[in-house]
Formats: sequence, C-alpha cells, structure tokens
Amino acid sequence: MNKLLEDKKAAVIFLAPAFLLFTLILFVPIIQVIYYSFCNYTGLTKPDFVGLKNYIYMFTSDETMKTALKNSIFFMVFSGITQQVIGLFLAVILTNLKWGRNLFKNIYYLPCVLSSAALGLLWAFLLNPKIGLNQLLGMIGVQGPNWLFATKGLIPLPMWVIGFVALWQYVGQTMMLYMAQISGISRDIYEASYIDGASKSRAFIHITLPLIRPMLVTTLSLNCIGSLKFFDLIYNMTQGGPNHTTEVLASHLYTQGFKFFKYGYASSISIVLLILCMVMTVVISKCIKVETYEA
Amino acid sequence: MKTNELVKKKKQITIVDVIIYLGLVILALIYLLPLLWMLSVSFKTNREVLTNPFSIPQVLQLGNYIFSWVNGKLGLATLNSMIVCTAALFISLLIGSMAAFAIARMRLKIMRYLMQYFLIGMMVPVHCVLIPLFVRFSSWNLTNQLIGLIIPYITFSLPITVFLMVGFFKSMPNELLEAACIDGCSIYGCFIRICLPLARVGMFVAGLMTFIGNWNELLLAMVFISDNLKKTLPVTLTFFVGPYATNYVQMFAAIIIAIAPTVVVYSIFSNQIVDGLTTGAVKG
Repeated sequence: MNKLLEDKKAAVIFLAPAFLLFTLILFVPIIQVIYYSFCNYTGLTKPDFVGLKNYIYMFTSDETMKTALKNSIFFMVFSGITQQVIGLFLAVILTNLKWGRNLFKNIYYLPCVLSSAALGLLWAFLLNPKIGLNQLLGMIGVQGPNWLFATKGLIPLPMWVIGFVALWQYVGQTMMLYMAQISGISRDIYEASYIDGASKSRAFIHITLPLIRPMLVTTLSLNCIGSLKFFDLIYNMTQGGPNHTTEVLASHLYTQGFKFFKYGYASSISIVLLILCMVMTVVISKCIKVETYEA
Repeated sequence: MKTNELVKKKKQITIVDVIIYLGLVILALIYLLPLLWMLSVSFKTNREVLTNPFSIPQVLQLGNYIFSWVNGKLGLATLNSMIVCTAALFISLLIGSMAAFAIARMRLKIMRYLMQYFLIGMMVPVHCVLIPLFVRFSSWNLTNQLIGLIIPYITFSLPITVFLMVGFFKSMPNELLEAACIDGCSIYGCFIRICLPLARVGMFVAGLMTFIGNWNELLLAMVFISDNLKKTLPVTLTFFVGPYATNYVQMFAAIIIAIAPTVVVYSIFSNQIVDGLTTGAVKG
C-alpha cells in the first residue's frame, strides 16, 4: 500500500500534464511580463531594454493611470466592504429562514453564473439618460441623474453605479460561501449558549463570527482579487469613458496593449496589477488570524 | 423550560418574520425584474421601447431573434463557444483530477508545495499574462484559432479544479484504497476505477464552474480572436454595442440567446452547483 503511494514514477505521470501546462502558460509568461515591463516594446520590433522608463512615465506623466489606480482601489475597497457586510447579512438571514431558503438563495446567486458582458449591456441600457430607469423616475416627476456620463467628484457617479452593479451581480457568491460555513456550525453550540442565557445577537457575535473566520479570508480574497481583475462590466457599460474617468487598471491595460500596441508599457501596468493582487492576498491572510477550534 | 419557550417562539409568525420576508421578496424582485424586463424588450419594436418601455409587448416580435441570430452570426458564435468550452472542460477535468489525486493521496513531501503552486494560479489575474501569451501564440500561429483559446482556458480552469478535487479525494476513506491494493490493483487502477467514480459529484461541480466561467470569458477571447468566424458568444455581444447601438431590441434578443443556455443549465442544476461548490470550498 505505502509503496504504491510512494511510487515516484506514477506521481510524475499524474502530475506532469497539469504541471507542464501550468508552468508554460502561466509561470513562464509571468517571468516574461516582468522582463517586458522594463522594455520599450511595440510588437513590431524586438523588446528593447530601457530600465525603469515605463514605471517613471507611469507614475509621473500618465494621468489616466492615476485615475485607473484610484478607481481600481476604490472598487476594491467598495466591493470588499459592501460584499462582506451584505453577503454575511443575507447568509445569516437565509440560514435561519424556515421557508423558501433555496428559492431565495438560487435567485440571488443567479447573476453570478451569467455573462457580465451581457449584464453590462443590460445595465447600460437601463441607465441610459433617456430610456429605462430615468423614464420611470420621470413618471413620478424626478429628474434622474446622468448615471453613466457624469464626471464630477473624486469618485464620479458612474464608478458608484458600476460598483453597485458589480455588487448586484456578485454578492450571491459571498453569501453562498458564508451560508455553507454557517450551516456547518453545530447546533449544539447554539443550544448550549441559549441555555446559558445568551440572546440571539450575542450568540451571533460570540459564536457565529469567530467560527466563520476561515471563510472571511477566502471570501475577502475573492472579493478583492475579483474586483481588481474587473473588466467586462466596465468595457460594456462605459468603455472607460467619458474622458477616461471610469478607467480601471484592467481596461487601461487593454487599451494600452491592444489598441495602441504598447506592449512594454502595458506589461508594466500588468506588474502593478499583479503586485496589488499579491499584496492583498498576503495582507488578508496575515491580518486575519484563523484559530482552529477543537470540535 | 427555556428550550420549551424557544420551540414555542419558533412556531409563531412574528412581525420580524414579515419584515424579513418583505425585504427578501423586494431584493428578489431587484434581481429578477431587470432580467424579465430584458425578455419583454426583446419582443418589442424599437419604437415601442422608446414610447412604452415598461409595458408588455403588443405583438411578439420574433423577427428580432431571427435578425440577431442571422446578422450577428450568433449561431456560429454559440457553436464556437460550445467547442471551446467543452474541449477545455474535459481536458481540464482529466488532467486536473489526475494532479489532484496525486496531491491528495500520494505520500511524497513535494505534494504540499505543488498544491501551493497550483493555488497561486487563483491569485494571478489573466490580464497579467495576456501580452506574453499573445506574443507567443501569434508567433506559433495559434491566435485566431479555437485551439489558441482552449489551451489558456484549460490552464486557468486548473486551479479551481485541483482545489475542489483535492477536497473530494482527501475525504475518501483510506480503507477503500487499501482493499483495492490488496486485491492487486495498481495505482492507475485505483485512480480510474475507484477514486474517479466516487468523486463524480466533485467532477460535476468543478466541471460546471469552469464551464460557466469559460462560457462567460470576454478578455482573452477578445484579444486572441479577431476573425469573425471564430468569435465566441461574449465577444459577439460587444459587436452589438457598436454599429447596432440604436437597435436595442435586437441587442436584447442577442443577449437573451447568449444567456439562455446558462439560465437553463442553472435552473436545472442550481441546487447541486450551490451545494457541491460549498462542500468543496469548506472542505478545502
């Protein structure tokens, strides 16, 4: 038995395809992208090493990059907070529901499986200045704002709107993962606390919250990385406009790389994105201590 | 005494319950109404949308669907999406489960690090490797080919597949494998005849998750494919943003066609998806 499970040759056969593909398609390109980010590279010529020039340009002269970085970080913080709060709230409510739990769960999770490209088009239409929601507001005599084309403020209105659409689409995932963790908590612990005179809210604070910590790490990482990756909704709702005010890192990268063919510069944007993702993952897993409780 | 009171409390419908259900129903409407409204718009004429957007369509304009199916080349796009996603699904499930089996079951020290290696893939956004991949694939003539999409889709499906399958393989009792070994089964036999059939639920969930993810993927498909005959569904939809921007009804018909398969699959399997995914996630 043990010999069989320590068979190195079999292990290699099992692992080789996945490992090779993963290394070739994911890790070698990461090394390449690091190299490209220090190059002047347009796709037509060979990469030409220019040192930190791309990064210096990015942080000194590229105004769109500033907007993109600001919007991406806003987006991450916004979806991190709202998804956690609303997702957990819904999960607690739904877990304690006596009737219709699966029905509501399935409805709230539905947009997660739909294409954000399609949903982006739908919302862009609903929030059109003349048709859709504004028409509905007009019927009750309210002049609706220009949802997707306003440019004023540190965080312009369209970013908030896209943030809410993203929340609408993805909060189901956070909710569902929390529900799984909460229903895994033994009923006995709650019964015991009730017998000791704990109220429902105290039980929530002292039992539920500590016991769902492992899921907090997972969902928060998913929220943060997911919102940094964010591209589809932006592309189909505003295309980064008006005047680049709704650009995020991913859309800026796409425009620079595949509209202007500045591969070198787009690579340095990729590196910023990659570093942000890595830092967030490390920060989240280090800051939230997961204690294991003996069952 | 106290528990009795609690039981009694549970059976009454309180005002809090009413408020909770009211809130949940309103939220459910916020989820369903935009989708239903989109369905109704897709059956209207353009003029009807502008004058009377929230009414029920007077005549069902099936022409919208025919127009977007023919002019938007949606049939071809659906076929392309099908080919790409099915191929990526089967290959990633096969090699992902093989790797997961070795990681979960084989007693070699290196396995822990390999698991970490695969999990890093979950943190890396596709965007980061877009440029080198595109450069390499175009030098190999793989852009504008469906196979050029299938390869990265397999790769980016691997982390979640490995993660879920390791959870399922680890939860299997040791005795099963031991018994098979005593009967003279090889390690490959153990994998194919025992572990794979027992991890059906896991494969089903991992498969559905990766399939849906790839079905909706936009960025890679947009960058890698510029040939109209090879475009996948999400890319074809962005086509309706440009030249057809005023033709709302046809755009919505196209969207309905594009999301209908996922909605159907989801409504059939929703409970399994949700439960299976969560068992995998909690176990891992």
